Amino acid sequence: MEEFSLVISVAYQFGTNAAFLLLCALGLIVILGMMNIINLAHGELMMMGAYTASLSYQAGLPFPLCVAVSFLVVGFVGAVFERLVVRRFYGRELSALVVTWGISLLLSQGTLMVFGPFLPSIPIPGGSLDVGAYSLSVYWLILIAVSIAVVVALAWLYNRTTFGLHARATMQDAAMARALGVNTGRIYMLTFSLGAGLAGFSGALLAPTASIMPFMGQQFVAPAFITVVVGGAANVIAGAVGSSVLLSLVRTPVGFYLGAFLGLVALLLAALIIIRLMPNGVSAALQRWSDRRAQSH
Amino acid sequence: MSKRDSQADVPQDATTPTTDGTGLSIGRRDFLAGSAAAVSAATVLPNLKTAKAQDGSPVKIGFIEDESGNLSVYGIQKLHAAQLAVKEINEGKTLKGGANIGTGGYGPLASYAANAPTISKEGVALDIVNAGGEMSGDATVFVEDDDVFVDSGDQGILGREVDLVSVDGQSNNALWQQLTRRLIQEDEVDVLVAGFASAEREAIRPIVDQFNQLYFYTNQYEGGVADANTFCTGPVCEQQVIPVVQYMVEKFGPRCYTIAADYNFGQLTAAWTKAFAPLVGGEIIGEEFVPLSVSEFSQVIARIQQAKPDWVMTLLVGQNHHNYYPQAAAAGLSYPMASTVNMAQGYEHKRFPPPSLNQMHNAIQYQLEVPTARNRAFVKRWMDMFPDDEYIGEMAQNTYFTVHMYAQAARLAGTTDQETVKRALELGWAIEAPEGAVFLEPGTHHCAHYIRLAVCDENHDVFFVREWPMIQAWWLQRLGVNLVRNPEYKQYVPDEDPFFSMFG
Repeated sequence: MEEFSLVISVAYQFGTNAAFLLLCALGLIVILGMMNIINLAHGELMMMGAYTASLSYQAGLPFPLCVAVSFLVVGFVGAVFERLVVRRFYGRELSALVVTWGISLLLSQGTLMVFGPFLPSIPIPGGSLDVGAYSLSVYWLILIAVSIAVVVALAWLYNRTTFGLHARATMQDAAMARALGVNTGRIYMLTFSLGAGLAGFSGALLAPTASIMPFMGQQFVAPAFITVVVGGAANVIAGAVGSSVLLSLVRTPVGFYLGAFLGLVALLLAALIIIRLMPNGVSAALQRWSDRRAQSH
Repeated sequence: MSKRDSQADVPQDATTPTTDGTGLSIGRRDFLAGSAAAVSAATVLPNLKTAKAQDGSPVKIGFIEDESGNLSVYGIQKLHAAQLAVKEINEGKTLKGGANIGTGGYGPLASYAANAPTISKEGVALDIVNAGGEMSGDATVFVEDDDVFVDSGDQGILGREVDLVSVDGQSNNALWQQLTRRLIQEDEVDVLVAGFASAEREAIRPIVDQFNQLYFYTNQYEGGVADANTFCTGPVCEQQVIPVVQYMVEKFGPRCYTIAADYNFGQLTAAWTKAFAPLVGGEIIGEEFVPLSVSEFSQVIARIQQAKPDWVMTLLVGQNHHNYYPQAAAAGLSYPMASTVNMAQGYEHKRFPPPSLNQMHNAIQYQLEVPTARNRAFVKRWMDMFPDDEYIGEMAQNTYFTVHMYAQAARLAGTTDQETVKRALELGWAIEAPEGAVFLEPGTHHCAHYIRLAVCDENHDVFFVREWPMIQAWWLQRLGVNLVRNPEYKQYVPDEDPFFSMFG
């Protein structure tokens, strides 16, 4: 029984580690992975999601509705940014990097000026489950499930719908897509808006576990970039899933037996080694592996 | 009387370089004379005031805190504290206090009698002749003084208006260095009040020393700074760690698990906890240092559950780490907690929904809830000026009384000349702060504080279970630091003290 509860607890820790990486990465999968924009305002978009959730929670909305509101509000903000600023920088990666960094400063300092250093927290929904000497947070179990569901939905959207087809075509060759009648301007805006909305969505989901502050977004930026970059661009969604699973497989046992500090060291070291061994990311390696399997059949 | 008046000038004379040529040290005779002069401080003060109001230019208090960025939650409170103190000084107000009044404090929790008991004069048995009647109550022996806020008899400092030259450090150490140079060299401030994180303080201290700038660091911190130009007015480890560890061991049991922020504050405070827990019967069964970037704590929580401690010492710093509390509560972790930083600084109990901070114990010298009349008066003055503020934390209060203490020392010195004000502060300075009496110990430039054990309940209300009216910052004294006689410019760490490995 003692061993059983230990196994459950370690599996739960693995799940939370992987879900945390995936949730951090959600919006960036779209914006960096598909549109190739190094979006340094990613953390601030997540912060806006958390702020929207906290404000609507205080206004009396039930929490799941708050998350939906965050998705819509931050998605809209993303669309506005795309129209006003970001669209002028497509294909100029470094300029886009500087511009999104500027946006991130404006957003975080502006939030500090308007809302002050804190907003009230949202209580973590759900209680805890006892498993032997350990206990699991119900809310994190829900987050694990939600992150899987959203990734599946995202994959469906991009591989099975007309919008997904147009979006992929636009990202691959905008001129050709335009020649074939795709309104690429609209696709860019919708894609960026979707990425922003997803960042807001995961910001809202992580809000109950976090302090809601103007600079809270910074904590999510490094995990998000590590997950997406390690995942690689060949197939962003599969890559992000693969990298979050791989990185958590390394981090969980080290973190549990040797402590949080070495857990983080192990994660960064694993990211380093994976990028060294698979320069195009986990997804490219997966692609090669599945190609080879298809040939041998 | 005339002789005493002349002695009062000694602190100024003491700036003359002494024979060892450092120009900073002060001879023993000068020091003794200075102490004697201080006895007459109260009588001397009015004479000085009229004599020294010669210069019309404002007194400049240089002030750096983080008004934006990661640490702005603390910086804005501290800025407001300085603004309040400057306003009061310019309106001719001050807090009671003065040079060398000594380590005040009002006495411990006790029963009191209707009349003063009479003790026999025969022998040494202290026989009670008359107990003074029925014990009529249980209380802290404490006459609440709500008039610690009094007229200074001055407008500003020595008749000069006080200007707060405040700049924003933006939570960026490199910027802190630039701003320090700017305040010292361009603005030529008379005093510098600055610093939240130990990293910020250590970044600017070399610059402070290069210019021999009078510098106040008002934060609670890990201790050990022995610097002739620096005065540390916040509490340090020996004043907080040992009281709270002792209480936790008595109340909950010996087995402690420490989780601490992985930088010098967390490492050194954890070292204090580990070194002194055995002295009060405790033991550290697990110790974990959490990088400042970690915000997701399920693994730390599982490790604590595996270790099954009696209580948990949390020394967590910054917004990422604050997430530990709601996450631990949601995961059903209900161990009693102790800390020296959380609750009193970042007011986590006001920000997170109950019961995240249930059973948090912190040996603090100040937080908003301190239940005394003088504190209520202070909070009211503050909230009249800043009605939108949510909390007044321990460092904000330190900043407040520090600015008042500077003004008093400059008045006694009769000048804002920095070396002279340093000598005046080195008389030893007592001030009636909102927390209670604070005594600036001259040899180490650290303060003795009124320490209270604050406990947070399941509704996030705060109550106080134990009080220590005056705890010395004694560690640097044990290491033999005496900045009055031997100026130094360094920070000591526990590794330099053999006592730390003696019992652990």
